Amino acid sequence: MSEQQRYSYENDCKPDENRNKGSSRWSQCRKRGADGSLRKAEEDPGREQRCSRRPESFTTPESEGPVSRVKSWGDEVEAEEMRSDVRRDMHRYRRRILAVDVPQRDRKISSGSSDSRDSRDSKDSPGKGDIETDETVLVRRQKQINYGKNTLAYDRYIKEVPKPMREQGVHPKTPNKFKKYSRRSWDQQIKLWRVKLHAWDPPAGDLQQIEEIDLGEIMDFELDVECSADPDSQCASANTASLSLTEDSFTGTPKKMMKMEDAEMS
Amino acid sequence: MDSAWTAFDSETQTMLQTAMNDPKRVDMDKLSNAIVEQSLKDLAFCKDAGRLCYTVVQAEARKAASSVFRRKLLNRLQQEFTARVEIRNRSVEEWVCVVTFICSVFDYIKVNDAPVVALVDPIYDCLFRLAQPDALMNEEEVDCLVLQLHRVGEQLEQANSQRMNQLFYLLRDGFLLQQDLGSMTRLLLLEILEFRASGWTLTETAHKYYYSEVAD
Repeated sequence: MSEQQRYSYENDCKPDENRNKGSSRWSQCRKRGADGSLRKAEEDPGREQRCSRRPESFTTPESEGPVSRVKSWGDEVEAEEMRSDVRRDMHRYRRRILAVDVPQRDRKISSGSSDSRDSRDSKDSPGKGDIETDETVLVRRQKQINYGKNTLAYDRYIKEVPKPMREQGVHPKTPNKFKKYSRRSWDQQIKLWRVKLHAWDPPAGDLQQIEEIDLGEIMDFELDVECSADPDSQCASANTASLSLTEDSFTGTPKKMMKMEDAEMS
Repeated sequence: MDSAWTAFDSETQTMLQTAMNDPKRVDMDKLSNAIVEQSLKDLAFCKDAGRLCYTVVQAEARKAASSVFRRKLLNRLQQEFTARVEIRNRSVEEWVCVVTFICSVFDYIKVNDAPVVALVDPIYDCLFRLAQPDALMNEEEVDCLVLQLHRVGEQLEQANSQRMNQLFYLLRDGFLLQQDLGSMTRLLLLEILEFRASGWTLTETAHKYYYSEVAD
């Protein structure tokens, strides 16, 4: 196995190791690694691909031969369901945008504009080729959206503010997973959306015991790592005992109550 | 589904009832284990158990927007599958129940109307085992093999036709070359060969041959 390949496998899904070698998602923007060596252009085309090229079996000193990387059927069926849900969403979205009339606008829309705000212009403009279709990306984005929607805050928000009453910019809006965004842009949109949702957190002093934990790092962890075992997000929605987290990384003042969506981080 | 209900003790029956109406209150670990344990003892139950499981899965999805039961059930089934060699050595009846139950689950539980892909290879593994010469000597194993192929053969072929082809090589070999097969076994094998060759159905004449009483 070539140096390059071996290195790829070893660095799978471990963005916090070997940062200088350019395995983190930020490194694709950099021309040189931290050790000064020029990075080859195609080195980091898609981290998702590397993750899915994990060896199916491996041999450890203790094992008698190749040990297969066994996935649990429960996890596999959930992954299947996510992929098929995302595909179905994509078909619906395509039909919807094709049906939308595109009104002519006088303003030119710059092609390089990255819109973290869902302006009316960009909603009309994506043609068939402009939507995100990579299933790995869509599934990852959907998971991030699910974490946000699995919160008490979100529940309260959608009950309090029905869709017709929502104002652009004022009310949080779920990022559109089908639009083309860079990884950074998307992750930032998710963070901002989650922060905005906190305005609908249940009032402090609620029934459950409140524990303050600084889990800002875990928040980043769940957004960084693509291939970690899927946390038991179903448990979270049924889980009414909530721990509060402080998200110092997002706001100046720590919030008192946030729902912990990862009941288990396996 | 009456037979399915009565197979259970009253505690499990209560759990099932609750699962249909208020899934959040049910310990899905307990329920899935109870169902699997019952299936290992009761072949008649296994055949339709998939349908019962699917109603629980759907109830949980609709009422609680979660899929804990499905996950627990499948993981528990995976345990049985992983231990299949020991199970078969311990009890052929239990082994046959495991295969029947897994196929029943595959038949009924769908993900957005599609079969559960994760089960395809494991089921093939089971069927390949059942098509081995030593298994073909046991009528209960042959019975199980042909029954599963009748029920889920077509779906399995759609999911992976190559493995189905390989399986049928084995079946043809068994039918032709294995000297010590019982006549019933040979009949079952011939029928399944014809069944698949006709596109997972039987022609009218074939059906008459295999399934009607001899006139005189």
